[in-house]
Amino acid sequence: MESKDSVIAAFKKIPVTVEEVQFAQRGYHLEITLEAGQLRAFAELLRTGNFYLSFVSGLHLATGIEVSYQFANYGFPCRLLANVGVDADNSVPTIADIFQGANWHERETKDFYGVIFRDHPNLKPLLLAEDMEDLKPLLKKEKTLKDRAGISRTEPEAQPTPAVKEDA
Amino acid sequence: MTTRAEKGEQRYVLNMGPQHPSTHGVLRVILEMEGEYVMDPQPVLGYGHRMHEKMAECRSWPNFLPNAARMDYLAALIYNHGYVGVVERLAGIEATPRAEYIRVITSELNRLQSHLLWLGVLVLDLGAFTPIMYTFEDREKILDILEDVTGSRLTYCYMRVGGVVRDIDDKFVERTREYIKWQRSRMPMYDKLVTGNIIFRKRIEQIGEFSPDMARRYGLTGPVLRGTGIPYDIRRAEPYSVYPEFDFEIPTETSGDCMAAYLVRVREIEQSLRILEQALDKLPDGPFMAKVPKKLKLPAGDACYTVESPRGELVYHLIGDGSDTPYRMKIRVPSFSNLSLLPELCSGMLLSDLCACMGSLDLVIPEIDR
Amino acid sequence: MSAVMNTGFLPPELLRIIFAVVCAIVIVFGNAVVMGYLERKLAGRFQRRPGPMEVGFHGILQLAVDGVKLVGKQLIVPKQTDKVLYRLAPIISFAPAIMPLVVIPFSPKLQGRDFDVGLIFILAVVAINVLAILIAGWSSNNKYSLLGAMRSVAQNVAYEIPMLLTLLSVILVTGTFSLRGIVEAQSGGAWFIFLMPVAFLIFFAATLAETNRAPFDLPEAESELTAGFMTEFSGMGFSLFFMAEYTYMFIACSLTVILFLGGWSGPPLPYGEYTSALWFFAKVYALLLTMIWIRWTFPRVRFDQLLNFCWKYLVPFSLVHLLVTAVVLKL
Repeated sequence: MESKDSVIAAFKKIPVTVEEVQFAQRGYHLEITLEAGQLRAFAELLRTGNFYLSFVSGLHLATGIEVSYQFANYGFPCRLLANVGVDADNSVPTIADIFQGANWHERETKDFYGVIFRDHPNLKPLLLAEDMEDLKPLLKKEKTLKDRAGISRTEPEAQPTPAVKEDA
Repeated sequence: MTTRAEKGEQRYVLNMGPQHPSTHGVLRVILEMEGEYVMDPQPVLGYGHRMHEKMAECRSWPNFLPNAARMDYLAALIYNHGYVGVVERLAGIEATPRAEYIRVITSELNRLQSHLLWLGVLVLDLGAFTPIMYTFEDREKILDILEDVTGSRLTYCYMRVGGVVRDIDDKFVERTREYIKWQRSRMPMYDKLVTGNIIFRKRIEQIGEFSPDMARRYGLTGPVLRGTGIPYDIRRAEPYSVYPEFDFEIPTETSGDCMAAYLVRVREIEQSLRILEQALDKLPDGPFMAKVPKKLKLPAGDACYTVESPRGELVYHLIGDGSDTPYRMKIRVPSFSNLSLLPELCSGMLLSDLCACMGSLDLVIPEIDR
Repeated sequence: MSAVMNTGFLPPELLRIIFAVVCAIVIVFGNAVVMGYLERKLAGRFQRRPGPMEVGFHGILQLAVDGVKLVGKQLIVPKQTDKVLYRLAPIISFAPAIMPLVVIPFSPKLQGRDFDVGLIFILAVVAINVLAILIAGWSSNNKYSLLGAMRSVAQNVAYEIPMLLTLLSVILVTGTFSLRGIVEAQSGGAWFIFLMPVAFLIFFAATLAETNRAPFDLPEAESELTAGFMTEFSGMGFSLFFMAEYTYMFIACSLTVILFLGGWSGPPLPYGEYTSALWFFAKVYALLLTMIWIRWTFPRVRFDQLLNFCWKYLVPFSLVHLLVTAVVLKL
């Protein structure tokens, strides 16, 4: 893939929901929402497109846990954030065989959120001790949980306010 | 040439424990050895795990700044920059031009200091006890300059949302210019003492070669990646702060071995000096701190801020929910991905080569463990 | 004769030997103190720092104080070690270090005892150190120590060969193994270093490897193996290894001086027969300072590169050198 547009076109074929966002406001270029079942096809597409995996992270919302993947490209500026909701049994397929770097990221996400990555070669605790598997430190308590709307921007995207008032 | 072992002989397990002169921090690597060959190095992490991401959810915005500095103590100002950058991006605040220049100047000084320490420690791991003393002498000069303006020598909390906490004065500018001259005069000495030393070259050349594709599969960034030929530097690819205004090169090498990473970092020292010079020349006047409301309440939404740390790409992903504390703060550290390469890269290597590889990856374990 | 001995008079020869042994022990300890101080001071200077400065004038008493500390330390014997071997290892390393000093000619009149095969005697005794290192590594019950010991054995055995081959070249010229004979063959300024410079370089490199000094100090590689075979030893055991290492360095440099640098020869001094020992010591310490200089400048050579260097470069060169020497002598 040579440019952001060809990337978006390829994604729309899977199909996944792609939204272009303003880099100056968000710090990345594309926001993608996926089903767990589309994850591996999506990762395979990125592998052929010269993308690398930046991180795998989790997010505990009132609607359940979501796993976020951030990829970026070495060749042209295209940083994308993909959000995947976990399946009913709190699991998601692994992409550690497609992107070997995901191996440790997924172990860390399991440590913090308890998300199982199906078919992962070695899902033992990475940062926590072996006997702390049930701790799941980043899961939130009931009263602090928000849903997607609670953590999304409400007003339309605008340019950041300049710090110094420009004199004429 | 990396010598590799054949399968079959009796294996024993050697533990390169959490306390070891060669692992830069508390890293444990379990080595299955056959004689002198390391068969399957498995890093065991978590000895320095402090759960900064949870602390971020429990603290208000200003209170997290010291945490950011303590994750990677060698690049604390760069971590500062990333953190205040992401908060500013989410809140829609812009720092003043002078503050941005000051941030770049101090970040580049930080980068220089980190590379100098890495250089000394790499050669120390290989058995030369003297170059580290020379690099530490250079480093002391940087630490003195930064101490005057920030108040700390290592874990800086100098930047704030909207600018920096204290202005730099002419004395700082003068001392930095003197330092640039001093450092430039020292680099030929390092060339002769270290790069030109045949024993050193034989320990480093053709050790731990990997391809750009392997780098991409593991998500490598930073000088290790640029050693394989991919000129990917966040300061050029996704420019932030005032980096677009400076003219500097991205050093790359093509061999992908430890020597390539070494040469890239040594050349980056010169490029950092160039950026410093240009920043000092172009430093604008004006306020060093923007007008920011006292109790900053950040809107709901998410933002990402990516900076180039001496070890690679550092990403802060911040999700706010309209309250005082973040909803989620994900910090993506470069050494995490760089170290995950170790099992595949170093299987079948000699123990001495493993030490050389780990040294050239430039790891800082507290940032991996967070 | 037996009547004289029964009455308690010791024969003068025996007295001489005992006196020589006592002097040898004094030299061992004196050398350890001087070399330890020099090493630390020079290391400091090479690294642009002052080195020991606190204790005594410019840190002169540092080694004395360190000795007191080491002697006063608790002798910890780890549980799973082989107790007998663990206690024996430092002794086996240190004791044979004293013997060669009895044979080395410091000046025409200052030599404990001159053997006809003095050179071979020294080499045989120094080789016992390899056994001591292996015992130390094995008895420590520690994988790091064992690795260090195995590396050391392989390294020592390998580098014996170029050492012996270059020695043979010198012996071909002098025709005698006696150390005094070798020195006297070089009298008048015809030192063998001018005759055989290549042999000198090979021999010096081989002695660096034999004494486990950088750049060949893998057995004690600090950054890879913590302290190699000495990891588990503390207090007096450690200090015995330490002193043994310095003594072997002294012996190695003395051998180099005797074989290549003319032993005690130098410009004439009053009471020349005794005071020419000063020239001997000056040359030995010049070589020791060079060894220290090399240690603090270069990184460590990797183990297989070290053995490669020996087998592929030093051995062929020394064989060729031997051949050339034999041919030249025949002509």
